[in-house]
Order: sequence, then C-alpha cells, then structure tokens
Amino acid sequence: MVKVYSINDCPWCEKVKKYLKSKNVEFEEHNIEENDVDRDACYELTGDTMVPITTVNDKDYVLSFDKARLDEMLGL
Amino acid sequence: MEKKRIHKDIVIIGAGMAGLTAALYAGRMNLDVLVLENGIVGGQIANAAGIENYPGFAKVSGKELMGTLQQQAESFGAVIDEFDSIVKVTLKGQPKLVETEEHIYEADAVIIASGMNRRKLPLPEEKRFAGKGVHYCELCDGHMYQDKVIAVMGGGNAAVDAANFLSKYASKLYLIHRSDFRADEVSQKRLKENPKAEIFLQTEIKSLQGEGRLESIEVLDKVSGKLRSLPVDGIFVNIGVVPNTELYKEELPLTPAGRVEAGEDCRTAIPGVFAAGDVREKEIRQLTTAAADGTAAALLAEKYLVKIKEGNPVW
Repeated sequence: MVKVYSINDCPWCEKVKKYLKSKNVEFEEHNIEENDVDRDACYELTGDTMVPITTVNDKDYVLSFDKARLDEMLGL
Repeated sequence: MEKKRIHKDIVIIGAGMAGLTAALYAGRMNLDVLVLENGIVGGQIANAAGIENYPGFAKVSGKELMGTLQQQAESFGAVIDEFDSIVKVTLKGQPKLVETEEHIYEADAVIIASGMNRRKLPLPEEKRFAGKGVHYCELCDGHMYQDKVIAVMGGGNAAVDAANFLSKYASKLYLIHRSDFRADEVSQKRLKENPKAEIFLQTEIKSLQGEGRLESIEVLDKVSGKLRSLPVDGIFVNIGVVPNTELYKEELPLTPAGRVEAGEDCRTAIPGVFAAGDVREKEIRQLTTAAADGTAAALLAEKYLVKIKEGNPVW
C-alpha cells in the first residue's frame, strides 16, 4: 500500500495527493502532526520529519513532489 | 511517441494571483483557456498564513484566498494543469507554441504570469543543509521546529510575517536582516512585541555549522564589526525573490534582474505575449497589482484574439 506522510497545512502534500488521485493510485494518508506513531514512522523511514513523503514499501520513498521519481517508484 | 498538439485561445503560464485572475477574466469571456503551473496552484502567496492587506478581507489565509480564486476561475471554464511541466516555449509568430512533457499547445496568445521563486541563501554550505536546517517554506516545514530555536533571514513583510508565524513553534526566534526593516509597521510592531523574538538588524549571516544537521550560524554585526555564533536548529530564508523567466530569456527582453519588460498594459515586445504579476518589471509588486495585471492581460489578450480573427493583429 502506498503511504503519504503529510501535515495539515502543506501545499506540496496536497499536490502529491492530488497527483496520486489523478493517476488512480490508492494511498493511505498519515498525518504526522496529529499522530505520534506516524511521526515516529516517518522519522524512522527518512531520518527526518520533512513532508510530504510518499513510500510504497516502507523502504523506498520520495520527498516532496518529484513527478519523475514518483512515476518511477510507483510504476506510473 | 509524438506529442499531441492542442489549440488554445490563451495559455497562461503560472497559477498565482496574476495567472488565476487572468484565467477568471478569460473564462468569463468564454475563451478556451489553459493555465499551466509547475509549482503550487496559488503561487507563493498560497503559503501565507494570514493576508491582511487584500481589499475586502480583514484577514484571510493564502490557501483560502487562492483556493477560492482557483474555484472561481474553474467555474468559468478555465482548465488548470499542475502536473504537465513546460519544457519549451516559442513565442514569436502565430500561433505560440508551449511544449510540455506531454503536449504541444498552440496558443493564439500567451500570458506569462510565472512569478518568482525565493532567493537561495548565498552561502556555499546552503546545499549541504537544505532541508536539514535550511528551509524556504514556513507553512510546510515549521512543524519540524516545535520548541526549537529558529532564525528567520530577511526584513521585508514576508520575512517578518514568517517570523510571527513560526513563533508558534519556536522556543526562541531570531530575525536577522542585513539592513533595516522593510516590512510595514503593523508587522514590525507585532514581532517586536513577541516575547520569543529577538531582532538583529544590520546583521549578516556568514556561515552555517553543524554535523549532518544545522546546529549554529555565524553572524556579523555590521555596525560593531563583531562576529558571533548563534546556536539555532533551523533557519527560514526570506531574503527576496528571483523571477521565473528562464524559459523566455532567448526571446523576450528581460531586465538585468531577469524580469520581463512590459508596461502597465502588460504587452511585451512580442505581439500576443503578455507579462503579468511579479514577473513583470514594475515598481510595486503586491497581490493587488498582480490581480490588476491579470485583469489587464486577459482583457487585452481578448482584444488581440479578435484582431487576429479579423486578420489585423495590431499590437
């Protein structure tokens, strides 16, 4: 399952989510401002809490909106 | 695979205040209008936590203001594409060609409203700390500094408003600016009264230090000539903007600062090409003047389209 780590007010998070929707990619949203478990998971994955982070397997991830890298990771 | 060619009456490059206003006006004139945006729909101002100088709104967030404007433009038929990036534009002749990753748009008129990007911190170690203590978006990255020490670089309205916004996270907040305040009195007063804020004017940042992440900055007091080290966890850079005109520099006359030369009517040196908003050379760059530019560009583009149809495209 694709996961997107995000926060409440974050234009780039919105852009990533809109892009995934436009490509019919199902994803889970994990708000690291509202959930400490998600915050810890994001930190464990990336060593930081910058968002948005998109991951497909809790190992590979893409920071921010990087269309080329998202397409590659998600096979779009 | 060959890219699909699509005709548009007007292609607007950029979906900030100027671009979306132009889209709204063009849409209401029943024109076939496409807005292309490589970054965030709403532009830089979409990141503003609170706007208090847009007429008719006591206080509104950038997200709300620009979100409403986007809906307004779309409700009149404007199409906004924020995922298909522009790779090349050819502005001379008719039609204008705007090539994206997926399409080639043939436009009778082009409105360049590509705005500005924040100026990067001009220090060699900036790249090493980008995202690891050096940031350019308060709204996106401020949350990383809960109960931490933050410094904001800059002295204009954007910097001071950023500092006021970030103080909700910070345990301590420095505002550092190389000259005197340029921000308006209201924003300055708010920051000066903020108990977390300490203001260093006439102070220049000289270097960044840290192992992996930013840990401190070295600043120079330009009056006393003294260097000092300030322990900080993160800095937010707001030291001005650079115009987004890389795509047009071969065809359009630009100022030394890189802005497009065009008058109040937004007409550039190339017939059928308009420049609107912060990307246009002008003395005052505000949301209101960007909206005015978008209005003028769309209305005059429509007149140009009529002239083209009449076979008399005077400029």
